[in-house]
Amino acid sequence: MTAQSISASARIKGGAVGSSIWSRAWENHAPGYLFLLPWFIGFFGLTIGPIITSLYLSFTHFDLLTAPRWAGLDNYIRMFTNDRNFVASMRVTMFFVIFSVPLKLAFALGVALLLNRGMRGLPLYRALFYLPSLLGASVAIAILWRQIFAGDGLVNQFLALFGIVGPSWISNPNYSLWTLIVLSIWQFGSPMIIFLAGLRSIPQDMYEAASLEGASKWRVFWKITLPMLTPVVFFNAIIQTIEGFKSFTPAFIISGGTGSPINSTLFYTLYLYNEAFSFFRMGYASALAWVLLAIVAVFTAFSFFTSKFWVHYDD
Amino acid sequence: MGMSLDRRQFLLGTTALLGAAALSPAAALAQENRLRQLFWGGQARADRTNGVNALYTAASGNDVESSFLGWGDYWPKLATETAGGNSPDIVQMDYRFIVEYARRNAIAPLDEFVGSALNLSDFDADQLEGGKVDGKLYGVSLGANSVAQLVNLAAFAEAGVEPPNRDTTYDDIRAMGEAFKSKNIRGGMKVIADGSGSEPMLDNWLRQKGLALYTAEGKLGFTEAEAIEWFTLWSQMRADGVCVDAETQALDTNGPLENTMVILGKAAMMPSNSNQLVAYQTLVQDDLTITSYPRIAPGVGGGHYRKPSMFFSVGGSSSNKEAAAAYLSFFVNDPEAGKVLGVERGIPCVSAVRDVVAPMLNEKDQIALNFVANLGDLLGALPPPPPAAAGEIDVSLLRVISQEVAFGARTAEDAGKFFVTEAAAVLERGAA
Repeated sequence: MTAQSISASARIKGGAVGSSIWSRAWENHAPGYLFLLPWFIGFFGLTIGPIITSLYLSFTHFDLLTAPRWAGLDNYIRMFTNDRNFVASMRVTMFFVIFSVPLKLAFALGVALLLNRGMRGLPLYRALFYLPSLLGASVAIAILWRQIFAGDGLVNQFLALFGIVGPSWISNPNYSLWTLIVLSIWQFGSPMIIFLAGLRSIPQDMYEAASLEGASKWRVFWKITLPMLTPVVFFNAIIQTIEGFKSFTPAFIISGGTGSPINSTLFYTLYLYNEAFSFFRMGYASALAWVLLAIVAVFTAFSFFTSKFWVHYDD
Repeated sequence: MGMSLDRRQFLLGTTALLGAAALSPAAALAQENRLRQLFWGGQARADRTNGVNALYTAASGNDVESSFLGWGDYWPKLATETAGGNSPDIVQMDYRFIVEYARRNAIAPLDEFVGSALNLSDFDADQLEGGKVDGKLYGVSLGANSVAQLVNLAAFAEAGVEPPNRDTTYDDIRAMGEAFKSKNIRGGMKVIADGSGSEPMLDNWLRQKGLALYTAEGKLGFTEAEAIEWFTLWSQMRADGVCVDAETQALDTNGPLENTMVILGKAAMMPSNSNQLVAYQTLVQDDLTITSYPRIAPGVGGGHYRKPSMFFSVGGSSSNKEAAAAYLSFFVNDPEAGKVLGVERGIPCVSAVRDVVAPMLNEKDQIALNFVANLGDLLGALPPPPPAAAGEIDVSLLRVISQEVAFGARTAEDAGKFFVTEAAAVLERGAA
């Protein structure tokens, strides 16, 4: 309907123009908005409000006890010129994202391919494999992880069967971050479920045609399955990258919030948390949060930009 | 009636309160005389505190609404409530933060109540002094404690080594370490944890040299030379297998007591505090005790001090300051309250209360009380409260750099220089 015809019909029914459109719209939608009000209050009061406040705070020095003092770009300047821990935490987080995301996706895809072979009891296996994703970010698992990867933990007891004396994985700066990457890979459940759905949606006639042509399984995977699955891979990669940047709980619990040993597990979010709640530099922590947002946005934008070269939409 | 709240009780209570408020508007008015209290600690401390609150309510008619959190959650909560102009009437305060809170008027000076609502006539002078900032009283000490080494007596007996005592020196510990090595008990238990990243142990070692971690002006109280000597001392002990290795020490993240070296069975002693003996003893079967930190040489003392383990302060925005001060007075002076509290927060600071408490203590509590009461020549003056950035220097410099040395990422020499430069920079920034 065009604007003209709306106002025309309003004129016919209402008589007085202008206000009647608004009052009629109000009559039509007011109950809806009233029902949405609780959500609006939450959205503006608890989400948008604090987000805007944190943007303001990022330009101040704020220790919670005294009023924020305007600092201009001080926080951002310090971050990029004079903060070793910012650099260290950025390096740790990048390393984590770059290794954990592809490995997790590959693992999830592998399991999804196995489950997609029409085995019996699929719902049960699907649920079992999804379980770690529900537990993985919990405090209990982080504590369990400590026990598994400690010097006299499960992993080393297993290695000892072969006469290998393993290091204390969790407390050695060379391996500690890898234990967290393994923990992240173990939570492959949600990308796996999405891959599984993606695999189901590939038209069977393509596989039939391939088998008539006598294509090998390997070739079928590379030429049909993977290209047809790229939109799902793309979706999973974006979601998991964002999750990776946000990762906090395991590192916080395993290192007692310190990023120990030698800052090897000092995730960006952990550093941000310490600045805010251990050292009470809310302004600086807010600036860190906005830089993280910018980094995630850049990564996502870059992914979208490259997607046109490797993501195939079936249309 | 005193109240403590866990989440379920809170929800139940809130629901009940809302119900009551809906029925009678008068219910809201009853809140007026209620003191709100916030402290850090565990269930044991909460039980004792609530016991005293019940006594106080019976004696004064004022309700105390009390809630508690773990140390890590406590400070963000207190800071947030303070920022909202809604600080509790009674807050627990630590020596590390009292200056910061006092200078920002987040806690109230108590001098106007001393002698009236707040009776401190029999209060230990050094503990009273510890609660002062810029000459004004901001906190009432809830007990004295001291740094102490936690000692696993059973492990020493197994190794056939005489356990350390108040005359033990760092050199003695090296000799004990050799004996532990040759005995090889419990899969290679070392005699001592790696103390190089322990701020209290460094502080104690510096004080024996007549120096300090921080000066009264909030500057670093030592130079590169001492820092290098400190890291070298521990590097040698580590290399000789006297203290635990880097990987093992890194298991202790300064978090749960369960991850510490003595409790994990990796070392026979480690730096700790006098009031923690009881808590540690509940975690292991072996008989534990405490003794002083090692001396740097025979006959050299002055490293220890009787630290106010924690304070009660009155919130800066409290509308009920006088009642809160009266509560503090009751908390530290009343003998019955003293009996309920025991030495859980430290040794009572009023001698009459000490006399009532001493006979009813169990063996481990007795050890703690005697240790703090009989420091003798080990005792030095109370150092000034640390600068605001001290926590950051401890967490993000001392502990990290000590690990860098332990894992071989830095030499002791380099670490000493780096630590002093970086700490000075952090202090500089904190002052700005």
